[in-house]
Amino acid sequence: MSNSHLFLPSGFLRTPLQNGLGRYIPQLQRITLKFCKNHGGSRGVRDFIESDLMEFAKTNPGTVVYLKPRRHRSPCMVAEYLNGEREYLSCHEFSRDEVHKWLSYMCTRSGIPVMRFRKYQHTDYPTVQGVWNPFTHQAPEINVAEFPHGVLSKPIDHGQTATEQLIEIFKKTQIEDPVNKPSN
Amino acid sequence: MAALWKTCHQCLRYGFSNASIYTSITAVNVISKRNFKAHWVAPTLRELQRRKVIEEDRNGGPKIFHRSTFLEWNYDAEIFAFSNRLGEKFNDSSLRAALTHKSYIERETARLSDIGVESNLQFHDNEALAKKGGEIMSKFINGYLRAVFTQVPEELIRAMHDFLTSNATLETVAKHIGLGDLMLCADFPCKTETYVKSFKAVVAALAESSGEERARIFVQDLVVTQLYGQDVNELWNPVDPVGNLTAILKREGKAEPEFRLIRQAGSNSILAVYYVGVYSDKNFISEGAGESLEVAKEMAAREALKKLFHTEDSMRALPFGRQLKNIQSRIAQLENQPNVPLSEWISQKVMSAVH
Repeated sequence: MSNSHLFLPSGFLRTPLQNGLGRYIPQLQRITLKFCKNHGGSRGVRDFIESDLMEFAKTNPGTVVYLKPRRHRSPCMVAEYLNGEREYLSCHEFSRDEVHKWLSYMCTRSGIPVMRFRKYQHTDYPTVQGVWNPFTHQAPEINVAEFPHGVLSKPIDHGQTATEQLIEIFKKTQIEDPVNKPSN
Repeated sequence: MAALWKTCHQCLRYGFSNASIYTSITAVNVISKRNFKAHWVAPTLRELQRRKVIEEDRNGGPKIFHRSTFLEWNYDAEIFAFSNRLGEKFNDSSLRAALTHKSYIERETARLSDIGVESNLQFHDNEALAKKGGEIMSKFINGYLRAVFTQVPEELIRAMHDFLTSNATLETVAKHIGLGDLMLCADFPCKTETYVKSFKAVVAALAESSGEERARIFVQDLVVTQLYGQDVNELWNPVDPVGNLTAILKREGKAEPEFRLIRQAGSNSILAVYYVGVYSDKNFISEGAGESLEVAKEMAAREALKKLFHTEDSMRALPFGRQLKNIQSRIAQLENQPNVPLSEWISQKVMSAVH
């Protein structure tokens, strides 16, 4: 149940520049698709470029798409993010759908490296009422009390529980009954 | 042989990175797959890396290249993407002028005259735009701060404004919206002042292109959000909280503040803690803790001032985005109305200003 065997760095949730607080800025700055015009390994990428690329470019106008046809090279995509990070992915022998899937995966990333999240939530204001300290909820009487104290040294008296109160009410009605009995 | 050369070439291009951004063509995160490499690949790469490290140490850092030196670079497309990324419409000429620096124009004209070509360059630089942008950005920030922090004295507003318009904050914002690759400047890696100037000029260009409303929302969304997560009381604190509290209570006609020891623990040890409470006419105002009585007294006075100014730790979260729709007009109104200064601060004055 430990994470020390993972070679993955760990960290807390964060987003660059408070993204989403004011407006959402898509973090993918540019994507470069390198492929070969002939070789079979680039077929998926070529099919993607012919069919789905225009739609992708129209739906992501904030991302610049570069195409690099290079002969005798296996296809790859390099995504560059606004915080300066790059992500490289080899697309060798990918199908058209796979290319589309990985491209839309790149769109969802910010450049922050993949890491194991230590917590799935983050807040900058962890406490509103103030962090508990031993003085919270302590009666001020302890300041000038001499111990052992008649009240403060004893267990805390929470008062009667609801059950005990009902039993008392019932007992009260029991005592009144013998007075009314002769009339019966 | 070709495979080795290709691998080495790729590894040289995609090397290992330092922590800062925009240093070099490095920092590659690979989505890894299973690979079977020959036995000589790893030792060769290790040796090349060793030599590269030596060379870089000798030259004082890795080689860095501007993104525009790459083959895949289209400045027009980058500008188009920049405006769409932010969701704003810019006049093309305004935006290009905002991104052009005087140093670049000088360098280009010098280069052309060296070659012997007459330079009829139609470049406009961003000096005027940057100045105007700085002014309107200050205005928008002050308007927001005064509309949200209604009870706060003007000194704290100024401190928050100075934090938001500081070079460090604006440089971070400029870098993270992608200005680093778009700026035309003679210095590379670009200096902080260049980033800040470009950003201010972009704000002015936006005001020119889409109007002041859009520019106001832009500054709120990008610059003022940097205040989120910051403790505003760390940015500014009155020098003499006890004296200030006394003066404020006197102005309001209330009794003098009375400091009483509420709790204490470990008074003879290093980890002593004293809680001091502030009372005005037997009414509890606030309490503060410290390692000695004097510190605790000052903290209690600070807490009391925080309560008066509504900047306690439990204060309301800052509004952004859609939450600002209703108070945009109020923000515009307060851009030119400074808050009450600390020397005249009194609850009645700020109560009347609350919307």
